[in-house]
Amino acid sequence: MAFHSEDDKSEDYLFKIVLIGDSAVGKSNLLARFARDEFYPNSKSTIGVEFQTQKMDINGKEIKAQIWDTAGQERFRAVTSAYYRGAVGALLVYDISRQQTFQSIGRWLNELHTHSDMNVVTILVGNKSDLKGIREVPTSEGKALAEAQGLFFMETSALDSSNVAAAFETVVKEIYNILSRKVMSSQELNKQDPASLSNGKKVVIPSEEQGESKKGGCCST
Amino acid sequence: MWGAPAEPADSYYQIRPECTDVPNTRFKIKPGKTLSVRKWQAAFTQEGFLDMGKTLNRIQRGGIHPTIRGEVWEFLLGCYDPKSTFEEREQIRQRRRSQYASWKQECKQMFPVIGSGGFITAPVITEKGQPILDPLVLQETNLGEDSDFFKELESRGPLDKKVIQWMLTLHQIGLDVNRTDRTLVFYEKKENLSKLWDILALYAWIDDDVGYCQGMSDLCSPMIMLLEDEADAFWCFERLMRRLVRLHMLFCGS
Repeated sequence: MAFHSEDDKSEDYLFKIVLIGDSAVGKSNLLARFARDEFYPNSKSTIGVEFQTQKMDINGKEIKAQIWDTAGQERFRAVTSAYYRGAVGALLVYDISRQQTFQSIGRWLNELHTHSDMNVVTILVGNKSDLKGIREVPTSEGKALAEAQGLFFMETSALDSSNVAAAFETVVKEIYNILSRKVMSSQELNKQDPASLSNGKKVVIPSEEQGESKKGGCCST
Repeated sequence: MWGAPAEPADSYYQIRPECTDVPNTRFKIKPGKTLSVRKWQAAFTQEGFLDMGKTLNRIQRGGIHPTIRGEVWEFLLGCYDPKSTFEEREQIRQRRRSQYASWKQECKQMFPVIGSGGFITAPVITEKGQPILDPLVLQETNLGEDSDFFKELESRGPLDKKVIQWMLTLHQIGLDVNRTDRTLVFYEKKENLSKLWDILALYAWIDDDVGYCQGMSDLCSPMIMLLEDEADAFWCFERLMRRLVRLHMLFCGS
């Protein structure tokens, strides 16, 4: 990967982003709204893993966000390590009309931290903000949790599309900014000490290196 | 009737009018090709032995007429041996129905929402077996905060691990029942939703190795639509699961 080339206009960036959260919080519909501007009121539960790639323009650069969507049920966690591998961004989703899904956020954060780099850019997303009448999680609670955990925060509605694109863009922009800073500092380093790169130092992008916990799961051999 | 035009089968599985993005089925009832009621009945001897070979041939070429799909699938899934008599099968059917009824009773005693016509979409206990009084559950069911169920749960002492595991799947099943084949008119009836929930909950109880796994609701749904009797639908689903587990063992060895 040549992140240090001078003319990087033609460069492709591919960021892997994962959607996580309890069953039926609206992960798949967030993705459908973002990637295809669609919403399925009668959609089925997600089985296993699906993903979709969406092109985005950040600061005049073309960026591809590869967004992974998974089943929320606990037992699909058997394929977890593969799901998180290489992820640089995460949308941690709960349903503002179901308190229980908000309470699970801690567990999802743990899982994210166990299986991926600590530097994964994460946004806490309170979905179904259109369900004002049956809201169980106040905006302030979501905001407070996000602040305490150092996460971005947004309330979205895949149904009326509010904030959906903004949530994804927040994550992608931040990843891009981190990456740009790293590239710049490595270029600085390069100027001062041209030998440093050949000395084996390399640009580390978030989550490239991570511990792999091996779990025997479904269909593992 | 020979030469009659093929009839689309959509009218048998009605889609809610507001769901406009559902594709039409490509299956057509073709006279002379599709296994008809008459041909199906003629495939049995007087005692009830079924000529499976000839029947399979026809099914493969033209499919099954929607009105007899349930009873045909009972044979295809292996609920009944084609080389048995009407009488033998009737006995098995009755035995299975009462077995189902007694399992249902067992489950109902552990969790009174089973068989009540309702179902839940939020957990009722924690992983340690402590009761949770989720407002959603109180609203979905007739379990009040001071209901016998919660009182008993408090007094019952530590729950068995198997019971906890089972109870923890119940709301997951409910969440999926709420989004299984919902474009169909069939699921506008609440009793059909709770039927699906009951069957999946019972299955999770009797097969605790498999329990409930997302996707099972999609497999169970056609059984409920094709077989009117809940117990009969359960047994078809049970056979289907048994086949899937066997296939999984064969290919994945775990």
